[in-house]
Amino acid sequence: MIDMAEALRLAMQRADPNLSRFDPLPRLVSLDDFSRGHCGWSQLVGNYEDDLDSMLPGYAQHTSPMLSTLGHWDAGSHGGMGSSYALKIATRPKAGAQNVAIKRHTFRKRGPIRFEAYFTFKPEANELTLSETDVRSVGLLFDLQGGDRDGDNERVMPHLRFLNAEHGLHLQKWQFKTESTPFRSLGRSDKTFSHYHLAPEGWRDLPDGVQRLCYNEIPTKVNWTYLCFDFDLESMRATGFRCNDRSFDMAGFDSIRIPAMKNLWCMLNFALFVETDADKRAFLYIDSVCISGDF
Amino acid sequence: MLPENTTAIVARNERWSGAAASEPLEAGWAREAVIFVRALKTPKGTQPKARVEISPDGMRWVAEGTEVSMPAEEGGITVLRVKHFGNWLRVAANFTPGSECTVLVTLHLKA
Repeated sequence: MIDMAEALRLAMQRADPNLSRFDPLPRLVSLDDFSRGHCGWSQLVGNYEDDLDSMLPGYAQHTSPMLSTLGHWDAGSHGGMGSSYALKIATRPKAGAQNVAIKRHTFRKRGPIRFEAYFTFKPEANELTLSETDVRSVGLLFDLQGGDRDGDNERVMPHLRFLNAEHGLHLQKWQFKTESTPFRSLGRSDKTFSHYHLAPEGWRDLPDGVQRLCYNEIPTKVNWTYLCFDFDLESMRATGFRCNDRSFDMAGFDSIRIPAMKNLWCMLNFALFVETDADKRAFLYIDSVCISGDF
Repeated sequence: MLPENTTAIVARNERWSGAAASEPLEAGWAREAVIFVRALKTPKGTQPKARVEISPDGMRWVAEGTEVSMPAEEGGITVLRVKHFGNWLRVAANFTPGSECTVLVTLHLKA
């Protein structure tokens, strides 16, 4: 039985048209619907020192996310769920290309964090075909590190992607990864390092993680999909994952874990990414994001 | 509420040669755009004009009419300003064989 305060919170939340489609934890960290701008979602830029040529190629390909009305050549603007706009993350037109948008915070307390979003994806509509295997994947990752007095000196990076297709095969399954590439020093100062955590190697299937999402019948029709990822900053473990009507067992899920960095204490970063499987741009559209916590 | 404005980096440390263009950017919410093209390295060969291109769909591109010479030396910056561009924007330039420029292209958009 929920107490009166919780009942009141739920009633207010469900009567709020901006929040009602989410299931947030008691404290809202941010509510981004992209009718009020980019809401802090920016380009993930790679590290460098002295010269931009030192940036790893995986990061050098990134460009800035944009506000989109999902304008299509044949049907005009699709729009978002509650406004004309969505955030759009676009790859370059080369198979395997990726792009990442990131929102950088720090946390006040190590406890449960919930990331909810409504998203959709499509390839660039430059062919009059269904193109359902042209987007390789879309996904999310967190980049986390405990406080400077916490003692458990790890940087933890949960990665979760929907592998839509690979090398033309329509796979439609959720995956996670626990490996990054080795760290590389970028300059002469021994202060700047980089690793490529979105390298294509090392993805593992989430148990019972096959899911057929709604992919409408031409490249310019989209449907919004709900996603909810729960993570506990105290134990640094994923505690839940839902996508539309499916709830997934996260007991077998783990994150990339690497030694703590000397300057990233209390880091709480959220990132969204897209990869293309064909020599055409892949687009990840985000209608809205609700990040909440219990603190 | 303050009007939206943003800076988008659409090409960073890209070596432009041949028929070059920045990645498409949707900016239909913006009333004006200022675009800077900076040469990050010493340009090679004859430098062409950079031109603003607009598009009905992000795939088919038309010269908008605004153009400016590419920067002539490392650190040089050229500026393009546009107000009526619909939704899609990019910068393009056609380099003759043997000429190139490594660029940083930034779009500054304001509602």
